[in-house]
Amino acid sequence: MRRAQAAGPILGALSLMALSALVLWPVVAGDSPWPLAPGDYLEARGQAESGAQNLVSAIYLGYRAYDTLGEAIVLLVAVTGAIGMIASAGDARGGAADTRFGGAARRRTELLDVVTGKLGPVVLVFGVYVMMFGHISPGGGFQGGVVVASGIVFLSLGRRSSHGPRITRAGTLAAVEALSFLVIMLAVGLGLVTGSGFMGNPLPGASPVVSIVVLNALIGLKVGAGISLMCVAMLAEANEPW
Amino acid sequence: MVARLLVGMLFLVGLWGVVAKRNLVKKVFGLSILNSAVVLLFVMEGSRSGTAAPIMDAGVADIVDPVPQALMLTAIVIGVCVTALALGMAFRLHRATGSFDIDTIKERLRHGPF
Repeated sequence: MRRAQAAGPILGALSLMALSALVLWPVVAGDSPWPLAPGDYLEARGQAESGAQNLVSAIYLGYRAYDTLGEAIVLLVAVTGAIGMIASAGDARGGAADTRFGGAARRRTELLDVVTGKLGPVVLVFGVYVMMFGHISPGGGFQGGVVVASGIVFLSLGRRSSHGPRITRAGTLAAVEALSFLVIMLAVGLGLVTGSGFMGNPLPGASPVVSIVVLNALIGLKVGAGISLMCVAMLAEANEPW
Repeated sequence: MVARLLVGMLFLVGLWGVVAKRNLVKKVFGLSILNSAVVLLFVMEGSRSGTAAPIMDAGVADIVDPVPQALMLTAIVIGVCVTALALGMAFRLHRATGSFDIDTIKERLRHGPF
């Protein structure tokens, strides 16, 4: 009986590995050539058509901007869900949760205060740089937004009291995220009014790179605010009234 | 071939973390490793199609295919979303039961006043 119980997980693991090998074998052993047509097309015409030197930006804000819009919505929904779960968790056991690690008091040290307080603004500036220059160098809205979010997390770790800079407050971050998403929707809908269609270039004479730069900045704001909102909420500040 | 096998092993490590670990936070780590393995596979395969980064400065030729990189940008963001939601659920369960261990959580949810 006991032997049978011990054999169960081993059999399960073996069959799992066999199944994975079956599924992954074509991936590992296949030697079909890489399809070169899309890459060659982008190399030849991508910069002329989108105006962006960085072809990755040209794809995700030019050729595939619909996809990016959906991605931004997914991020918004995920942030909303995570914040909802964290904020409504409350103290179900009346504070009986595990407090062995001291909570907020022991997390603050002089070293943490000094390092994160000085590093935070630098990281913020670098994030804005990555965000704004995504069309000519590696980077873009999502990458820059994450760097901005880590800068905000630094600032919120480094503050000494609960009266930190306004940028680390959950209410401000939520407002920034909601506003930037609204502006994104307005910006991509502007083409409907001027006659070039949804997500079309609203100004007939303008270079298409303008829309890439504007969308990079807006998406960076939105991603930075959303991710730092989640982090700030998870840093045990969820119990504070917003 | 060797690189693909290594990525496959990384994938299996992530799968093992999701399936076999009892700590919810370690399960989320496993999910994250799974996601990274898929991202690595795409970027690695795409990197074989050229030699230069797909940034069209003057004189750049033979760039790698930018399509898998743009695709993986989406995958990374969705991975962050999944991780955040999973951590939110783990946080909520920890608040309710005081534990990250799935057996303890099951036990306390069955016998507790919930």
